[in-house]
Amino acid sequence: MEIPYIVTPRKDTGLYNAKIAIWLFLASEVMLFGGFFSAYVFLRLGADYPWPERALPVLPGLINTFVLILSSVTVVFAWAALKMRQWRRFQVYMSITLVCAVIFMILKGMEYNVKFHHQAVRLKDFTVLEGHLGFEEENGTRVKDHNGHDIEENKIYVKASDLTFSTVRYHNAWVKDIIAQAEHEKSKITLSKDIKVITEPGKPAELIAKKGDALTPKLLSQIAKIHLKARAHNSDLKIAALKEEWKKAKKANPSASDVELSPNVNIDMDALAPLLEDEISAVTFNVVPAAKLQFNPRDIAEGATQSKLRDDTVINGELEPSPMVFHYVDAIDFQNLVMKAREKGIDPERAIENSWLIKNSPFAKEAWQWHLGEVAKLEQRLKDKYGVDKNNQPKRVPNDKERYRLGWKDFIEKNKVELSGFDKFKEEFLGPNYEKRGNATFMTFSLPREQVLHASKFTPAWNTYYALYFTITGLHGLHVIGGAIVLGYYLFCGRKMYLSNPEWLANRVEVGGLFWHFVDLVWIFVFPILYLM
Amino acid sequence: MANSVEEIQKAKKTYLMVFAALFACTILTYLVAEWEPLDMGGHGFDGVDATIGLLIALFKASLVALIFMHLNHEKKAVYWIFGGAFVGAAALYLLTHLAVFDPIHDTYFYDGSKPRVIQTEEAAQPAASDKAATATP
Amino acid sequence: MSAQAEIHSGHDAHHDDHHHHEPGFVQKYIFSTDHKMIGIQYGLTAMIFLAIGFYLMMMMRWSIAYPHQPVPGWMDWMFTSNWKARWLSDGKITGETYNMFGAMHGTIMVFLGIVPLGFGAFGNYVTPLQIGAPDMAFPKLNMMSYWLYFLGGVVMLASFFMESGAAKSGWTNYSPLAGFADGQVVNQFLAGQTQWLIGLVLLISSSLLGSVNFITTIINLRARGMTWMRLPYFVWAMLVTGFLLLLAFPPLESAGIMQLMDRVAHSSFFLPSGLYTKTEGLADLSGGGSPLLYQHLFWFLGHPEVYVLLLPAIACVAEIIPANTRKPLWGYKSMVYSVLVLGFLSFIVWAHHMYLTGMGPLVSTWFQTTTVLISIPSVILITSLLISLWGGSIRFTIPMVWACAFIPMFGIGGLTGLPLAFNLVDMHLHDTYYVIGHFHYVVAPGILFGLFAGVYHWYPKITGRFMSNKLGHLHFWPSLICMNIIFFPMLLQGMAGFHRRWYNGGDAYLAKAADSTNVLAVSVTKHIDLNILMSMGAWTLALSQIPFFINLFTSWKIGRKVQSDNPWDATTLEWATPTPPGHGNFLTEPSVYRGPYEYSRPDCDEDFLPQWVEPKRKTGTETKPNETTPAAH
Repeated sequence: MEIPYIVTPRKDTGLYNAKIAIWLFLASEVMLFGGFFSAYVFLRLGADYPWPERALPVLPGLINTFVLILSSVTVVFAWAALKMRQWRRFQVYMSITLVCAVIFMILKGMEYNVKFHHQAVRLKDFTVLEGHLGFEEENGTRVKDHNGHDIEENKIYVKASDLTFSTVRYHNAWVKDIIAQAEHEKSKITLSKDIKVITEPGKPAELIAKKGDALTPKLLSQIAKIHLKARAHNSDLKIAALKEEWKKAKKANPSASDVELSPNVNIDMDALAPLLEDEISAVTFNVVPAAKLQFNPRDIAEGATQSKLRDDTVINGELEPSPMVFHYVDAIDFQNLVMKAREKGIDPERAIENSWLIKNSPFAKEAWQWHLGEVAKLEQRLKDKYGVDKNNQPKRVPNDKERYRLGWKDFIEKNKVELSGFDKFKEEFLGPNYEKRGNATFMTFSLPREQVLHASKFTPAWNTYYALYFTITGLHGLHVIGGAIVLGYYLFCGRKMYLSNPEWLANRVEVGGLFWHFVDLVWIFVFPILYLM
Repeated sequence: MANSVEEIQKAKKTYLMVFAALFACTILTYLVAEWEPLDMGGHGFDGVDATIGLLIALFKASLVALIFMHLNHEKKAVYWIFGGAFVGAAALYLLTHLAVFDPIHDTYFYDGSKPRVIQTEEAAQPAASDKAATATP
Repeated sequence: MSAQAEIHSGHDAHHDDHHHHEPGFVQKYIFSTDHKMIGIQYGLTAMIFLAIGFYLMMMMRWSIAYPHQPVPGWMDWMFTSNWKARWLSDGKITGETYNMFGAMHGTIMVFLGIVPLGFGAFGNYVTPLQIGAPDMAFPKLNMMSYWLYFLGGVVMLASFFMESGAAKSGWTNYSPLAGFADGQVVNQFLAGQTQWLIGLVLLISSSLLGSVNFITTIINLRARGMTWMRLPYFVWAMLVTGFLLLLAFPPLESAGIMQLMDRVAHSSFFLPSGLYTKTEGLADLSGGGSPLLYQHLFWFLGHPEVYVLLLPAIACVAEIIPANTRKPLWGYKSMVYSVLVLGFLSFIVWAHHMYLTGMGPLVSTWFQTTTVLISIPSVILITSLLISLWGGSIRFTIPMVWACAFIPMFGIGGLTGLPLAFNLVDMHLHDTYYVIGHFHYVVAPGILFGLFAGVYHWYPKITGRFMSNKLGHLHFWPSLICMNIIFFPMLLQGMAGFHRRWYNGGDAYLAKAADSTNVLAVSVTKHIDLNILMSMGAWTLALSQIPFFINLFTSWKIGRKVQSDNPWDATTLEWATPTPPGHGNFLTEPSVYRGPYEYSRPDCDEDFLPQWVEPKRKTGTETKPNETTPAAH
């Protein structure tokens, strides 16, 4: 017996199998995206920071919406062509659909790329700076690091005099990197003292490595092996000893409970000590001469004289000044600071005047003064246009974002530079053209590390809004890719099926098209919710 | 599938009209959000504009679902399945909302007169700059 | 129209033109698309996972009963010295290790054990047979479901071998703990917590594909004459289970993806502001997230999940009881409506797992009401099964023995759930051993007994041989006794205030017992000796499963052969196939003429009239009830 109703619908339900299946699957997708949209509402309502409204450039999203709508029409036309047995037409429409999918993903890729290179930082007083970090330069040329890469000016510098690695937890890639860095700094990393290990009880200690031996991944892995072996050996001995002790204790007091016996059941460590092997749980290396090593801020918990990496490597040495250096600051946002100030009952403008940034950056101070003037102008314009209500209060006032955020368009407004129409159009997609607008528009700024509360690129780590944006659009993008692959399969490999059983192909394209429409449906909601709200 | 050639020809015209409608609605959504003459409610983008935008989105979605996805002449079973999912999603959202922002709970212990203050590291240890910020005028 | 008709005709049958060659070993046993082989694959894999989860529990019970003693040789023989050095402190189970075992015990039992056994194994094997279909609607998708499950299971197990160990934040994996645990691992993809999430996403995908398959099959591939109200109850239960999986799993998938983002991309979906950890100090995170959101998304699945666990077991029992009482299932129609209502209600009760999270009275009243309401269909189901026994000619075959035990055991489980439904009572009982006792009664002597019954019942159809009765009894009676020894005291301990997830069994309170003002210490101390009894019960329970495994694997070769294709003289369609059913299941397309439980009809000579037997004509041949078709091939 063969499986029925693959092509012909069943009489009483009126449906063929794949159609039921796709609607069931779409129901589950509704729940999936429903979960994400619910999360969006909660995280927005419960946010303890000002929700970024209209933070994304709208134009790419708008174009993507048109692209998807077009692809929705063409996919249904492709299905109609198949039903009417017009193979050429089907090919044309399906190709357009796929081209639309590709355009969508390209635009999305461009959007993501811009964000991954854009930096944001929240200061300790909740001022937010956005912009582009610079790369280390000397006399106009980029300084390369030990790997030959550009050094982004967001590193923690420690003048390391010695390093202690955890034999179990050290991360091999980081060890290699430290070795390369030291070499680049013309320092040597050498073992601080001899490692002698008793590998067999009774025998004298064996010299595994001498003081002054260079740090190599091989040496560390050798020590790690010894450590694991010794740890296992010691553990076995101790377990056996403890079991013996319990046996003795229970024999001596058969009626006593565990709890009564346990304080007195102990391993005789003195008796055991000669049998134990040396576990080398940490090994120290000296850095001669002390080298300035650099680390990513996420990987290191820095201290004035001692820092620790996430793989439990301890670095002894002075913490060097490690500022975050913006080569172009394209936004100064006080909304979060204002929110905190209002919570404490402080006047927002006063709080801004007293913020660290205004006090320490003349450029920012001047820009802020200019902005206050602009806000006043806006207030006046709104009052003139919309009038006042019966309490003589203006009907419309500038909102918080207009008052307390200087975005890149504000900076451009302040320091107009002539740009071609095409360049201005590109800015709608890729953000401001820093080179052409220069530092008169977007200031350079060296931010001391002590002022940084939280820094990140515009990635999911920056705040819950971006986390939602990337997760929802990323998942949606994966669905676009998946749907495109399936539709592409029917386009490129469907001819054989069309010749033998065109109705079956038409049904499959219909089912694929239903999925595609659902993807479009989700985007219809994603666009206003994430881009316009 | 009982779609005849004539039915499909008619349907194509409908598809094109829906396409035009979707296009227009998208432009309308953009204008309501960005264009000042269409700024409803208060100044700037606020709840009123958001509601209008979402209603337009709902309308667009209905067009896609009913016409492109053939739901307007689909079997009852499909309505139940697909519709059931939306009911489920609505239940998920609504009940969770009420649980987190319970109207009764919120006023029983907390009457909303003071803003909620979240303790941060810097608030716990007021630094010198903080003292200056809180200085009275 | 005519153009379409020409094209339609004959195209469903075009497969017959293809040359069917004998599939090779790999295609027949490993990458099979046959629902029966896939069902067996699910069943065997699930049993392995159940055994692993069981082993973890045995270690946990050691820690509870004898927290100061090193794990004995008979339990630690499978661990390497290196593993013991890392995870045991001088051989004693540490808190971290206990948490790891606890989290993985729950995960493995629920997601890798019971659901695949109930839904994947039984559902896959029996459902197409009972509706008269040649296979599932999408055989290749079915195969993919199994392999996704397998892959998810492998990922979960692999996490045990990581330096960070497996997940250790409870099977519920709440943030912020689950977002932070194993956070010091540099490559997050090597952290057990992250792998748990990846495994979960794979498992959820497997379930989603499976449920799409099941529902489509049940809706569209029913045989001629198989109307909705003639469906065996098993199929109704599988249909509702499919819908529960379909609609309830995706929010957990979204929560899993968000938690994965929290771990890997350092987002703060579920991490609030101002989080402080011992290792990092103030966490370098944006904050602004909501741990409560995770809980809601998790339990939105979590509650329907328990009905996903339950319904396949009720399905098995509902088939076994009529066959062994020789009378119809009592209240078939009410049972059908009950299971549909149960499925619907199960979506709106979830926050009864969250009464202590600070919900306001409005919403906790809602959840309390719906939770109490949902007990009604459950009670209808169990009562119908009980009443089905009344006046029956009961054959105490091994499946029937298990099915009869299911009823009171599940009854205790369900009834002990009722106090938990009330938010006021739950304040005292939440996170205590009472909850553990309740849900284990439902799952272990409840659901698992129902599934064991199913194994013994359908084994003859799968292999053509009966399982040994002697070994069956050796399996059953100790299991029943041990289950009660383990879980009944938990109810007492819970009411006395024993908390969940205490790795030392409440031992820490013994020191405080002298202080009679410490109410918890006093009550805990009174019940602490039960720990040893319960642990002994657990280890004995392990021993009593040995007869089952021997039975399962030897009866295949030396069991008593069946004498017909319908050895239990049952009425449902799976007994109309050859034994074991071949590819395509039925020799000719079956037709259904009556309901599924036509036993002891007054107008019939035999005490059963199968669904597929043609009604008596005035003339012509009649089909005897235990023949499959008049002219068998």
